[in-house]
Amino acid sequence: MAIVAQTSKFAKFARPVLAWCIGLFFFFPIFWMVLTSFKTDADAVKPAFLLFFTPTLENYLNMTENYDYWRFAQNSAITAISATFFNLIVGIPAAYAMAFNPSKATKDVLMWMLSTKMLPAAAVLYPMIFLAKGLGLYDTHILVITVVSLINLPLAIWMLFTYFKEIPKDIIEAGQMDGVNTWGEIKEILVPLAWGGIVSTALLIFIFCWNEAYWTVRLTTIDAATLSKLIEGNRAPEGLFFGRLSAVSTAAVGPIVVLGWFCQKQLVKGLTFGAVK
Amino acid sequence: MGRIVLDKVTKSFGETQVIPPLNLTIEEGEFAVFVGPSGCGKSTLLRMIAGLEDLTSGELHIDGADMTAVSPSKRGLAMVFQSYALYPHMSVRKNIGFPLRMEGMSKAEIDEKVNAAAKSLNLLNYLDRKPAALSGGQRQRVAIGRAIVRNPKAFLFDEPLSNLDAALRVGMRLEISEMHKRMQNTMIYVTHDQVEAMTMADKIVVLQGGCIEQVGSPLELYKTPKNLFVAGFIGSPKMNFSQGEEASRRGAATIGIRPEHIDVLSEAGIWHGTVGVAEHLGSDTFLHVHDTGLADSITIRAPGDVNFKYGDKISLSPREDVIHKFDAQGQRIE
Amino acid sequence: MSDRSLPRLLQTPAVLLLLVWMLVPLSMTLYFSFIRYVLNSLRRPEWTKPAISNWRGFGNYEFVLNNKDFLLAIQNSLLIVCSIIILTVVLGVFIAVLINKSFPGQGIVRVLLISPFFVMPAVNAVLWINMILDPVLGLQGLAIEGLNQLIENLQNTPLLGNFFSLWPEFEPISFRATQTSAYAVIMMVTWQWTPFAVLIFMTSLQSEDIQQKEAAILDGAGAWSQFRFLTLPHLGRPIAIVVMIQAIFHLSLYAEIEIVSRGNGNKNLPYLIGEFANNNIGAASATGIIAVILANIVAIFLLRMLGKTLME
Repeated sequence: MAIVAQTSKFAKFARPVLAWCIGLFFFFPIFWMVLTSFKTDADAVKPAFLLFFTPTLENYLNMTENYDYWRFAQNSAITAISATFFNLIVGIPAAYAMAFNPSKATKDVLMWMLSTKMLPAAAVLYPMIFLAKGLGLYDTHILVITVVSLINLPLAIWMLFTYFKEIPKDIIEAGQMDGVNTWGEIKEILVPLAWGGIVSTALLIFIFCWNEAYWTVRLTTIDAATLSKLIEGNRAPEGLFFGRLSAVSTAAVGPIVVLGWFCQKQLVKGLTFGAVK
Repeated sequence: MGRIVLDKVTKSFGETQVIPPLNLTIEEGEFAVFVGPSGCGKSTLLRMIAGLEDLTSGELHIDGADMTAVSPSKRGLAMVFQSYALYPHMSVRKNIGFPLRMEGMSKAEIDEKVNAAAKSLNLLNYLDRKPAALSGGQRQRVAIGRAIVRNPKAFLFDEPLSNLDAALRVGMRLEISEMHKRMQNTMIYVTHDQVEAMTMADKIVVLQGGCIEQVGSPLELYKTPKNLFVAGFIGSPKMNFSQGEEASRRGAATIGIRPEHIDVLSEAGIWHGTVGVAEHLGSDTFLHVHDTGLADSITIRAPGDVNFKYGDKISLSPREDVIHKFDAQGQRIE
Repeated sequence: MSDRSLPRLLQTPAVLLLLVWMLVPLSMTLYFSFIRYVLNSLRRPEWTKPAISNWRGFGNYEFVLNNKDFLLAIQNSLLIVCSIIILTVVLGVFIAVLINKSFPGQGIVRVLLISPFFVMPAVNAVLWINMILDPVLGLQGLAIEGLNQLIENLQNTPLLGNFFSLWPEFEPISFRATQTSAYAVIMMVTWQWTPFAVLIFMTSLQSEDIQQKEAAILDGAGAWSQFRFLTLPHLGRPIAIVVMIQAIFHLSLYAEIEIVSRGNGNKNLPYLIGEFANNNIGAASATGIIAVILANIVAIFLLRMLGKTLME
């Protein structure tokens, strides 16, 4: 990839240094958070203990014992997994229809789906609470899962659509000639060939569902509350609990960041709707 | 079995009509080749017969039954795609057996037919491989196998040899021709290569701009092309055309003479010119001759041991009996 | 083709669901925006029920539009979104071009770079406002204090001391104040989304035409010219996409705002809605509808402009 005879010695040296600096700079807050999670609350705010301190697991222990942490974590997992699953069940047929059997309206439908994401959640908050309480669904898993799914459904469909569109047209036509019906097309051709794309979509949707903070906080109190609620509840303003805060945050964020590391390529592909390869 | 009739068939994409009303009959057991330049509609026509494209108007009959609105798999046809379109995640065995599985055949029967097809195509050793592990020629055979196994009324080939290298192409051409002689099924074959057309076809359909220019056997098209287009399309190197004095002397607006019909060895030819580029293939020599007064450049096919060089003066003797005459509209004059 | 209708029907569940999700709450909000509806009222208890007899017409809208915070909220929404987009794109392009050529550890740097994107927004906000930007206990505070300490020490050195004695003592910035909280939000969201932009641009740069570059070099183009005339146009489409996606996500920014300002700081439109919703549902709904209209305008504008590029 390098263009021959163009890089001066200085550039050769400066570029990696600069790149590493920027990389570390961006990663630093996360690093800092993880580091702080191993400090006691008291140590966390002492400048002297910036980098050198006695690490302790006390925050993590506190967290898992006192806060009923596991319930929050479990709810996050249940919500994210169910919502992802639901989005696949609904999204795969929809994306299939749009990719394999497009009509004139298909492009508009896709754009419209995308535009539903621009709806400011705050605008419909109160009706949602009203409905939720009225239907007796407030603070239930069903409600939270449904809402979190619907928020991310457009994204799921878009991503699946771009992956499905990549299946060469003549394989589909060969299938038609061979007498495959709709169900067969999905089962025998689509799913095996787009499997990578389906997995990628699932992973990314899982990440977004897990990270969802608005509705999961406002539509729940105890039963269905997720980790986002735990964190929002923990934002004690004047920083006395940095250690504890970091531990909770690290635990909430850690697995997702690692997952994200594995998903980079799919992220680009899916989120740019395939336009950037 | 396998008589296909196209009756006043048209095709439009949106506002643009790409195929004006067209009539064509393909007889049982015929090997018909659709040939023409890019964009002439040959692939579209094939896909309409297959059912992958709708007919904008007109009717399609297969063995007397109206198949205009029938879905592709129910027409009893099989297609071999240019890119083979094999299912990459399935083994050769599964690829070939796929249409049978869709028909609901029993496993035993499927195995039997798949093995038979594989045997006739020399694929027995590759049955468990995936397409990615096969060479181009092998993939081609799998695609053919998948078509054979359905016992179709007719085979449709969409430029099947374009993706193969030159050497392989010649071999596969022979195999397909042999297959036809053996199986006697109707075959419709689309290509832009007129050599394939000439060597394989019982009947050639020459298309341009969605219209049929001429239908006939290879030799018919070679000997009696109906118009300038067909005359220039069939035969390689191209026929030489000349307007002007030589043409009007013979009572035509344009005359045409094939490179192989001009003799260069006699000194007493009626035309004269200067040799430009001389291409020596060993088996033949192609001479490009200028300053003849007929056209900018005349191409001549001469025996391989002829050794004219650039700048040589040359005398040309055309065979009068095979000079083609065309009128001002480009139509053949007898 | 005869059986195209069945497959097309498969989109129906998705379309229906999204339609319901859009229409039902939205129509309720619309309804609420036209009535007097509050959560608690001692004076007018009948206003605590969403009855049609409380119809107020455009009264709520008047109230909202005249509200002193309203214009400010819109300004903030726009300010924040635009700043974030501009910053992320500029930084994104710069960083992408920088790290695109391979160097030792490129893979690791990439991984480090994209991590912020996967952090939960709530954690993002909490992390930044407390641990980093807090004027006393956060890194900012510590850094400023350290800087002040350093300057103090320097002031005591013999010669240079005179020079440094002119330097003021630095005050750490509180990012919870009204205007500065906007900057805090811009900072933290830029931190989170620049990696996204970098990733997209880097991927796009991979498909740059090397031969075109080499031709340009032979024609005498320097690094800046190459960037301006070859790289930047190539990045045109990805930039458009990044802008669009961020607009979608940032117009409804809420978590960060709330956590940062806790009511006292900077308000953007969604936050204003939330504020109204503490009691005056009617006003909140009216604001909500206005927000939806604005969002739709942006959406139509953006999607029209960029939709074509996406659909090829």
